[in-house]
Amino acid sequence: MPDGLTEKLRAAVGPANVLTGIELSPYVVDGRTPEAAVFPGTIEEVAAVIAMASEVGRAVTVWGGGTATSVGMPPTGAGLVMGLRRMSRLLEHEPGDLTATVEAGITVDEFQSALRSRGQWLSLDPPDAERATVGGVIATNACGPRRHLYGTARDLLIGVTVVTADGSVVKGGGKVVKNVAGYDLPKLFIGSYGTLGVIVEATVKLRPLAEREELVSVRFERLKDAGAAVKALAASDLIPNAVELLDGAAAAGAGLASSGPASSGGVLVVGFDGVREQVEWQRAELARLAGPLGGRDVRQLDAAAWPKLGPAARAAFGTPAAVMTLAVLPTQVAELMEQGAALTRARSLQSAWTAHAGVGVMRAALGSEPAPKDPGAIAAVLAEWRELARAGGGHASLEWAPLAVKSQVPVWDDPGAAGRIMERIKAQLDPRNILNPGRFVAGI
Amino acid sequence: MPGLTDSKKLELRRELEMIVGRGAVLSDPDELMVYESDGLTLFRALADFIVFPTSAQHVSAVVKLANRENLPFVARGAGTGLSGGCLPTEGGIVISLMRMNKVLEVDYENQIAVVEPGLVNLHLSWKVGPRGYYYAPDPSSQQACTIGGNIANNSGGPHTLKYGVTTNHVLGLEVVMPDGEIVWLGGKTRETCGYDLAGVFVGSEGTFGIATRIVVRILKTPQAVKTVLAVFDQIDQASAAVSAIIARGLVPAAMEMIDHLTIQAVEDAFNCGYPRDAAAALLIELDGLAVGMDVQAEHIVAACRESGAREVRTAATEAERQLLWKGRKSAFGAYGRVSPAYMVMDGVIPRTKLPYVLSRVNEIVAAAGLRVGNVFHAGDGNLHPNILYDPRKPGEEARVVAAGAEIMKVCAEVGGSISGEHGIGLEKADFMPFIFSVADLAFMHRLKNAFNASGLCNPGKIFPTKKSCVEVGPVAYRPHAIEEKGLAQRF
Repeated sequence: MPDGLTEKLRAAVGPANVLTGIELSPYVVDGRTPEAAVFPGTIEEVAAVIAMASEVGRAVTVWGGGTATSVGMPPTGAGLVMGLRRMSRLLEHEPGDLTATVEAGITVDEFQSALRSRGQWLSLDPPDAERATVGGVIATNACGPRRHLYGTARDLLIGVTVVTADGSVVKGGGKVVKNVAGYDLPKLFIGSYGTLGVIVEATVKLRPLAEREELVSVRFERLKDAGAAVKALAASDLIPNAVELLDGAAAAGAGLASSGPASSGGVLVVGFDGVREQVEWQRAELARLAGPLGGRDVRQLDAAAWPKLGPAARAAFGTPAAVMTLAVLPTQVAELMEQGAALTRARSLQSAWTAHAGVGVMRAALGSEPAPKDPGAIAAVLAEWRELARAGGGHASLEWAPLAVKSQVPVWDDPGAAGRIMERIKAQLDPRNILNPGRFVAGI
Repeated sequence: MPGLTDSKKLELRRELEMIVGRGAVLSDPDELMVYESDGLTLFRALADFIVFPTSAQHVSAVVKLANRENLPFVARGAGTGLSGGCLPTEGGIVISLMRMNKVLEVDYENQIAVVEPGLVNLHLSWKVGPRGYYYAPDPSSQQACTIGGNIANNSGGPHTLKYGVTTNHVLGLEVVMPDGEIVWLGGKTRETCGYDLAGVFVGSEGTFGIATRIVVRILKTPQAVKTVLAVFDQIDQASAAVSAIIARGLVPAAMEMIDHLTIQAVEDAFNCGYPRDAAAALLIELDGLAVGMDVQAEHIVAACRESGAREVRTAATEAERQLLWKGRKSAFGAYGRVSPAYMVMDGVIPRTKLPYVLSRVNEIVAAAGLRVGNVFHAGDGNLHPNILYDPRKPGEEARVVAAGAEIMKVCAEVGGSISGEHGIGLEKADFMPFIFSVADLAFMHRLKNAFNASGLCNPGKIFPTKKSCVEVGPVAYRPHAIEEKGLAQRF
């Protein structure tokens, strides 16, 4: 780098912790290679790196486990990647307080296994937990099936420490489970994709491990009937911790059904936890409730099925052509799945659909076989899917797509008038626009 | 701020009446006085106008008028707040949302309701109750407080131990921004597009704008409820029981502690069935599936007994359960039986620090020559020491305020917070440096600028103002207008 930034970075974090040249290949995003990847080991080093980047106006993209780096608009410039893998300690865990504080670079799996050994867990189950970091999960608002009962990061994060765009260290929230002092900065950073600050530490609420947990699947010949079962479940006394709906293709992707992608049916997968009596009673109730609606083949699944549920749509295809996330009202889920799949078939393409059905968050993957002739065909289907979500008052964003597709269909949905407030927040908190610029909603 | 001239006031009154209608504007000093305080009567401030809009368009037009005239404005609900958060400290316009009190929509299948901000919290549960649903956040003032006020303070309540506070139940809001623009933050779906502005708005104490429609989650009424009363001869035993219950892997729906003095007051007032000679009682509620509840209740009973409870009983009937809860929820009112006045404190500590902090609270209050009653959300570590005093005795109020500050310092020292649910408002603005650095506060102030650039929307709240505190560039000390006017005094 002409301005000698690399040398300064090496001096700040140690030469072994700055990668350049060919070593940067794992950090290429949408074809763009960063100028350097830097791995600070302390909050002070993070602050020093940010201050240096700010001084020379260089963009900084924070990197956790690298599991969600494809989300967002293509990077606008090269800039620096800042990896937090060296900051991965469990700093505090007081079981009696049901809280823990970690450095942002700890992986979800590492954190969970430390907690599990003391009878507790963080009730958040994002995909790729062996690589995904707590900081990354917060920054991308990642979650999994158990969000049905336990919510997302916004329900669990009680404190954050961030390094801001000017290199200062700022704390928001605290270490106690209930706290209204000051603005709710944890909410601000959840899902902010590294555009407002570098999350370096997080304090979260924990839960005791349940005595028992069980995953039960019910097969339906028609998605519509599965949708009716989801509604019946919501209106019942049952308290499931997960309510997942998979269409035939996604069920095959998760290894839950032999039926091929053409099947019009679906599989409802429901999780229960609690004491033994509660789990058993609920499993029986589920069968009783689903039977008259067309539910067949009620069976308990192995615990290994849990992590396959979230990525099931994507897993239906070797390499999908694109993956989209849709947020809709829970009652719209089954119908939207049918409509979305039908639209795709009408274009002679294939799709696979999953949903956290009880909360109305859907994920759809577009198949790559037969390969669409041009990115335009992919973009056209994605635009139709988005329209489906929008028609019901929802919205949709691209979770993954090739560069050529991203240039034809906006990655993020239109936030409406709220977009202007988001721009003002960004301008206030990152006036030089160095934190992951240009990749987020509203061009932030 | 220079006061408005009489002729200007008359002109503005006419203009406000054009917006909200005649009969929806107050400017007579006697009428304004009704709105000079909230539930914390230490602070008083008079507005120039109180207006009662009935639509977002009204609110927007009033806010635009305020901007044009450079007049501060503040939203007000039922006025049950406990931190002076809705006081018009610099005069200007109080926008009362009490006439916007409708449930606009209930979607039972998707378990959401759209309500206006002036809706009384409990009225939402009344509305959806017959269909088997309820609104979970249940502050003790829920018979009077409004959902809009709950949004401002991110209100909690006993059952937030299991179900979370207001923010966990809000999906979206229609907001009149401080410049008058009407914007939706979030919506009806569970994921937002972009920053979680609804999440940032909730708890911003009326400084980011005025919510005019709110999308909240409603929950299914639990199949079964079990309420357990555990009685202790020592307060430390009750604290230990809280930890023992959590150590057994149980998360009750609520876990409330009531101390000896409070039991006296409650029994005098309502005769709820708490043993008068107890040092402390824990009110523990389980809810959820009927099956398995007995097993969990046995764990609770065992944990309490191991911690030294002399008596553990389960409410046998719904009437008995309601009576126990009445004692808890009416405790604040009951203090009237034992003291002419009291000040409610609100602090949060890590649950494991309960025994230490409770003993420090007692020491601090005793050293000030005062009495304290504790009734609080023990499961959350959310303390409410209520310091009893007699405002007619010279100097006593000052000692209460000083003791309160000491207690807040103790909460901060053990890694806690200076407010769990009442907010910072005016009361605790100067305590913010106990837990936040200069950099933290400066960052929050920049966030405020993004929403409220003019600063006209509820000025003088949250950020420290006192000289003795750290100077924070944009939020450096200036005396409040109410101090300048001699209407309030700092101690």
